[in-house]
Amino acid sequence: MILLKRLIDWIDVRVGVREVVEKELTGYLLPRNINTWFSMGSVLLVIFGIQVLSGILLLIYYVPDADKAFKSVTSIMNDVPFGWLIRMCHAVGSNTMVVVLLLHMLSVLFMGSYKRPRELNWLTGFILFTMVQGISLTGYLLPWSQLSFWATTVATNSANAIPVVGPALVEFLRGSKLVGPATLGRFFALHVALIPAGMIALIGAHLFFLKRTGVSTPPFGLQNTTNQWQGDSYHHEDHPGGIPFFPNYAMEDLRSIFIYLACFLAVVFFDPYLFFPKDAFIPANSLVTPAHIKPEWYFLANYQVLKIFPNELIGLTLQGAAMTFLALLPFVDRGKECHPLKRPLFLLCAIGGLLLWIGLTIWGHYS
Amino acid sequence: MEKGGRRKFLGICLGGCVAGIAAAVLYPVYRYLAPRSGSGATARVEIPEKDVPEGEAKFFEYGGSSAVLVRKRDGSLVALSAVCTHLGCIVQWEKDTQGFLCPCHAGHYTPDGVVTSGPPPKPLTKLPFTVANGSIRIG
Ligand code: HEM
Ligand code: FES
Repeated sequence: MILLKRLIDWIDVRVGVREVVEKELTGYLLPRNINTWFSMGSVLLVIFGIQVLSGILLLIYYVPDADKAFKSVTSIMNDVPFGWLIRMCHAVGSNTMVVVLLLHMLSVLFMGSYKRPRELNWLTGFILFTMVQGISLTGYLLPWSQLSFWATTVATNSANAIPVVGPALVEFLRGSKLVGPATLGRFFALHVALIPAGMIALIGAHLFFLKRTGVSTPPFGLQNTTNQWQGDSYHHEDHPGGIPFFPNYAMEDLRSIFIYLACFLAVVFFDPYLFFPKDAFIPANSLVTPAHIKPEWYFLANYQVLKIFPNELIGLTLQGAAMTFLALLPFVDRGKECHPLKRPLFLLCAIGGLLLWIGLTIWGHYS
Repeated sequence: MEKGGRRKFLGICLGGCVAGIAAAVLYPVYRYLAPRSGSGATARVEIPEKDVPEGEAKFFEYGGSSAVLVRKRDGSLVALSAVCTHLGCIVQWEKDTQGFLCPCHAGHYTPDGVVTSGPPPKPLTKLPFTVANGSIRIG
């Protein structure tokens, strides 16, 4: 104990760590009415960490070669001690990450924290969301199963509907006319190098914006729930008299993290194949298309939209428009009010949109 | 209860939980990374006698490492580990001089594995073998 104190003293006189702790942890005050939804970001950081670590471990035995990929994954599952655990953590984690990401986005939406001055926070977050989709899509191909192969065939094929450049774009995405070894090479590079590096950069930007602007005040339990930002000069939103981040809110973060881990490990241990249709266990065969090829659950709505419209271009355009609208939401929705119940139009659109998405997902699942 | 006793007790419980979680994570990761021995380590190797003519050497995998069989000019057989006793390079058979040369730091051995020059501190390890029905069995 005394030794530890002397070590900290030694560091403190040199770099002033106690001042950093005072400023960033114990003296970092959060709004008094902060709630559990604000811990979703920390949960996401933990999930991202788990994905990176389990991913690096998988790289030790995974072979990114069309002839060997499926066998190497099978051997991770059956031969390598605890290989099943590492792989299941990675595969299940990719799904639960999307769940938590959706919760994070929904809470930011309903509490109006995307509104100015936090447009950049929303924008970086939204780009992170598309990157999570991209990293899932590219990771899906790597086991080189029937599911991987045909889901990628269908997903890349949808770009065909884009006028003029469509067919060339599809070939560029695949690296060949059809999905094949060339596709595996580029998806592997995207999945393990480019997208993770980009995500780290964007998480950095996301947290930087959060830090500079200050945490938003949730609109619950207050008289005035409008956004006080003037917009004439830079101003950090402080919360005098608020709750210290450490230890108070750190405990709440930890509680959410452990609740998440309990749910996550429950799936890993008791229903690991929850997200695995049976085509995931058959090696890829470029000459045999399986009967019901479906994307992952969070792409089912997109899949169903493409199916509804006889003209794929309409389906694709609608999705592009919806994504662009969401990305630019803080620039469209410029009202000052943050409380969801005092924003009827927003509430209507948000709940309507959510129900539409859920409906399309269920439809896509059963169609 | 003595002063601070409750705090200390809870601190120990917390430390125990953290240690338990750390062990539950590190043990599978260690097992995942640990080299897997066992497979093939004790397997015997059979080589037909005609594969090793007089004055020649035959290299093969044995017990997860490299080994060599030599038939000397006098017709007798020797089985050796091919791992140089200096820093572990694999020795080469020199047919003209009828000896082993380690290319890494020029260690020289006789066909029996005895060091004749260079840095190797010990002779090459001899391997047990038997010959029966035209086949050499090592191990
Ligand atoms: C890899 C994914 C992500 C990570 C690791 C992450 C992490 C975080 C963290 C740690 C915070 C601070 C605590 C909190 O309010 O939860 C935060 C805040 C925020 N995030 Fe994210 N986030 C991610 C994705 C997103 C996405 C997809 C969006 C929306 C499109 C988004 C929008 C926001 C906004 C607007 C805030 C500010 C909230 C406030 O100050 O009230 N984030 N994020
Ligand atoms: S390793 Fe063989 S001589 Fe140095």
